[in-house]
Amino acid sequence: MTDSAMDVRDLFVGNGDLQAVRGVSFSIPVGGRMGLVGESGSGKTLTALAMMGLLPVGWSTEGRILHDGVDLSCQSDSQLSRRRGRTISMVFQDPLTALDPVRRVGHQIISLIRRHSDAGKAEATEQAKALFRQMNLPRPAQMLRAYPHQLSGGQRQRIMIAIALACYPQLIIADEPTTALDTTVQKQVLRTLDVAVRERGTALLMITHNLPIIAAICDTVAVMYAGRIVEAGPVAEVFSKPRHPYTMGLLRSQPTMDNIALDGSSRLPSIRGTVPPLQDLAIGCAFQPRCEFATDKCRLETPKVIEGLSCWHPIVLDAEE
Amino acid sequence: MRLNVSLIIGAILTFCAISIAVVSTFWLPYNPNLPNIPNRLLAAGSAEHWLGTDVLGRDIISQLMVGARTSIVVGAGGATISLVLGAIMGLIAAASGKIVDETISRVADIMLSIPGMVTALVLAATLGSGALTTIFALTAFFTPSFTRVARSAALSVLQEDFITAAQLYGRGRIFILARHVFPNIAGVLIVQFTLYFAAGILTEAGLSYLGVGVTRPGISWGLMLSEAQNQVGVSSPLAMWPGLSIVIVVLGLNLMGDGLRDVLDPKLSKSIL
Repeated sequence: MTDSAMDVRDLFVGNGDLQAVRGVSFSIPVGGRMGLVGESGSGKTLTALAMMGLLPVGWSTEGRILHDGVDLSCQSDSQLSRRRGRTISMVFQDPLTALDPVRRVGHQIISLIRRHSDAGKAEATEQAKALFRQMNLPRPAQMLRAYPHQLSGGQRQRIMIAIALACYPQLIIADEPTTALDTTVQKQVLRTLDVAVRERGTALLMITHNLPIIAAICDTVAVMYAGRIVEAGPVAEVFSKPRHPYTMGLLRSQPTMDNIALDGSSRLPSIRGTVPPLQDLAIGCAFQPRCEFATDKCRLETPKVIEGLSCWHPIVLDAEE
Repeated sequence: MRLNVSLIIGAILTFCAISIAVVSTFWLPYNPNLPNIPNRLLAAGSAEHWLGTDVLGRDIISQLMVGARTSIVVGAGGATISLVLGAIMGLIAAASGKIVDETISRVADIMLSIPGMVTALVLAATLGSGALTTIFALTAFFTPSFTRVARSAALSVLQEDFITAAQLYGRGRIFILARHVFPNIAGVLIVQFTLYFAAGILTEAGLSYLGVGVTRPGISWGLMLSEAQNQVGVSSPLAMWPGLSIVIVVLGLNLMGDGLRDVLDPKLSKSIL
């Protein structure tokens, strides 16, 4: 298992009777980049929090989370806190709330570098400046003295990425890192993240509902629906030849220049219905109430995962399409 | 930063009061407890006693100066101890599990439901009156309020992503409370401190007026008020001086608190830049 940066097996995350993640398995090779896609409430973020042992009070996990040769799901809190940040780190969705507003950003990154290495203050400051330079942040020395509210959203997110990279982790989890940024900044931030991760050979788990980002950055993709992975595979394959009706629906509901009519006469295709609440998940396939191909079999039996696909009626697309 | 008039006026008034209290520790025009019967009940404006003398001929300015010291020591003492205890209890309540949180919160509720004056009267009756007893009573009275404020502010800070980030990077619980949560709620607590400083001065004056606070040879503005009470009609300004002093200092502290609230409000400070 040493060739994977993260290996999740049959992960269940629940709070009492509520099961939000129901049997998720995936594996990210060392230096690999995986995308995790799904609607709000499909269990993406809980999966990520479970991987870091940071679930909110009341939530518990079952299954195995293998990382760096140990099962994180059965580590004590103090054991976890020693490895957190050193081997796994995370980039949060909202860069404004992810930095402490009353402390200078330099202090936040330098104290982290010093905590996880035996670098002195001057050395840690140099490392922080080098990281900032790599993040294309202008005037790193001044930037270190700034408070978060003095910086723009893009700058803050770059600093978060710099902090995430500071201890040379094996895996970075990016939870919708660009959702809170505007489109032009998104691209720059993603490119910086992409380059930095590639240079260091760090594995990346990109959680998003933005399919173009996945297509641009990731090697593999897993599509989550109602706590399960319904389809997984290499990005090129899944996006060009989706087999699960849900993946198909997601891909169809992406706006492109073709289906946007400026006079407003055309509508963006959407998947009818919404994600069912966790309390009343039907037996059988969770997507079945919204699926146009659903049959009686889908209503009665939960589809097994075969070749990364969990569907009784996979769509077969012609190769040339 | 924009000019905040109430902060400036409040800070000036508070600074003056504190300066007078400091001066009173090493220099006084007269001994405030020494009777001088020939000079009794001098009117304000006399050459040797600018604000006159009381019924025993004791100098009013000297008494007011010592009174300022008493007010500030008792008010600041009570508010500071309450601030420290309240912040610690509030942080513990916010960061702990349900049982600890509920216990601390319910105890605070019970303590808040007991009127402060009653607590002070009971304490004065059992421990004897004096400045220390008054500080003790104020602490018992104010700590629950500080606990509540600190707890609710800490709860909202604990929701933020940077707390999760700190946990993720391996920070311990105490480090997070001391270095991330406390600095973020300090502004709210400072504002609360100035307001309770003022409330402490008022309470101290009330207790001394009732005779359960500071007594001679100690001097407090409340004590001066109660002594001046018998001379109302004979020499009415005697009651006016300590009353005016209380108004000025309490007004100063409240103005400063309001000003600080505006300046330290995180929402406002974010929009400045």
